[in-house]
Amino acid sequence: MSASGSSNTSMTSPSARVRAWRLPMSAWLVPLALAAACAPLFAGQFVLHLAVFTCLNVLIVNGLSVIDRSGQLSFGHSAFVAIGAYVSVLLTTKAGFGIGLSAGIALLATVLFSLCLGWVILRLKGVYFVLVTFAFAELLRLVLLDWQALTEGASGIAGIPPLEILGLSFDSRAKFYVLALVAACLSVALVFHMFRRPLGRAVDAVCENAALAESTGLSVLRLQLVAFVIGCAMAGVGGVLTARYVGFISPESFNTGVSVAYITMLVIGGRRSLWGPLVGALVLTPLPELFRGAVQTQHIFYGAALILILRFLPGGIVSLASGSAWRRSKEAP
Amino acid sequence: MDWSVLLGQATVNGLIVGLLYLLMAVGFTLVFGVMRMVNFAHGEFYMLGAFGAYLCTSVLGLPFLAAVALSFVAAVLVGSLLEAVLLKPFRKDELNGMIVTIGLALILQNLALMSFGPDPVSMAPVADGTSTVAGVVVANSRIYVVAFAIGVLALLYFFLRFSKPGRALRAVVEDPETAAVQGIRGRIYYPLGFGIGVGLAATAGALMAPLFSVSPFIGSTPLLKAFMVVILGGLGSIPGAAVAGLALGLVESYSALFFSASTADMTIFVLVMLVMLLMPRGLIGRGEV
Repeated sequence: MSASGSSNTSMTSPSARVRAWRLPMSAWLVPLALAAACAPLFAGQFVLHLAVFTCLNVLIVNGLSVIDRSGQLSFGHSAFVAIGAYVSVLLTTKAGFGIGLSAGIALLATVLFSLCLGWVILRLKGVYFVLVTFAFAELLRLVLLDWQALTEGASGIAGIPPLEILGLSFDSRAKFYVLALVAACLSVALVFHMFRRPLGRAVDAVCENAALAESTGLSVLRLQLVAFVIGCAMAGVGGVLTARYVGFISPESFNTGVSVAYITMLVIGGRRSLWGPLVGALVLTPLPELFRGAVQTQHIFYGAALILILRFLPGGIVSLASGSAWRRSKEAP
Repeated sequence: MDWSVLLGQATVNGLIVGLLYLLMAVGFTLVFGVMRMVNFAHGEFYMLGAFGAYLCTSVLGLPFLAAVALSFVAAVLVGSLLEAVLLKPFRKDELNGMIVTIGLALILQNLALMSFGPDPVSMAPVADGTSTVAGVVVANSRIYVVAFAIGVLALLYFFLRFSKPGRALRAVVEDPETAAVQGIRGRIYYPLGFGIGVGLAATAGALMAPLFSVSPFIGSTPLLKAFMVVILGGLGSIPGAAVAGLALGLVESYSALFFSASTADMTIFVLVMLVMLLMPRGLIGRGEV
């Protein structure tokens, strides 16, 4: 957005010509990113499939990063993906609601649920919050497993019809990819927008020093709650989309391993950067394909990468590129 | 069958599971007390201990007691080494330290998967036959396991209570800075604390190996239970972990008798969340906040 604005000025005023040196970088990046985003559409079904998952992960991990940036790490992020998925699917199969309407209600349900839960559990800090979110995710998984009459238990719900919004059906991979891409871009835009506004600054301040933030008149609980609800809502949308795309959900689709994968993407991408979740999801979602047939090697790689990144590159992969986005987020108070 | 027999059986089973939880939770809380680190790899050491006992008895033909001791010693050594090499930069760094142990857990579990394969193996029972204790029929192998577990706990108690390194370790848990002023060396006691903590997990795994099956995936349930026990007992509180561990085992066993096992699990989860919110220092012990 700012790139187009400054390119106009560089054409008119000579004093801005010095600044024009910086332009090629971003001017290159935009078409490059566009090309990369369009490429899967022409690269065959398998690449398209991976691209859909990458977009969904970008969306969900962005949600996790919003929560993390308020100073609380959620170990139960998959639970909110599960809530979005199960509510939207059950409303269509059991209550006979329209697909679009049930997706909307599922989002609302995730928001309300995370609001109530967050209001209670955000009083806990540090590892206590991590443990309580972990316990909550396990509890939800047990409930989903046990409530056979409603959720079909461990066998899961299969044959979920594709998403349909306002008569537009997303029944092919290519169509769904476009939708997932839009959702992922919107989530990135939302996070960018949020952390440039006073709200985002306040959330950053809470993370930096909660006591100081509280003493300057910011309500730590309220800000963390806002971040928690936004993050969980993104997970809920991710859940709705995942269920509609895959066509099958079971309690095991949302187990602890999935939460660990989200945390891994966030940490490896970069926890304190706007681009971190994007990079993490982009790098780690296609990675299993490198290790196909050797899941163990992949997990060992995940584990080793987590440890090495935290030890030697606490800012994640993003901090390798001394791009302006990273510097800005670092300099931001 | 009349109720007293059923209750007796449930009590025995509850005690066995409670001892397992106790051993897991004491190690877990020891690591947390010393390093302020939530050790997500704790369950994997349980799994490695179980494999250690299995390999020692089935392949090397060692007696059970030697196998348990060997598992413990190996886990202490490996744990201390890992602490000194991997975890040292993350001491007292709660969140990052925790994520590092998640990475460690992934590595350990999948290394085990690669070396031993995914299929569960079962170990020969320690003893044959049954005995009748106070009207309740109990398999001899279970009595052995309970006796060994109590022996381990007694050793641990005397080590922490009376020996010099044990007292130093407790001092580090209590207040690391004052401990350092008194000349207790963190260089030695951080790795030792972590080593003994995961050593206890390995011992629990080794002791339970003859009773349950052994596979690379068995670590996650004991880890989850250790979390809950430690929260109920107060993070960092060793007596709290001991009491809460036994209590959780008994409660689970009784409620599995009266309700379904999953109802019991859910009730305990709700209880854990309530305790965390209302009494973050724990129901029983006095943990740190």
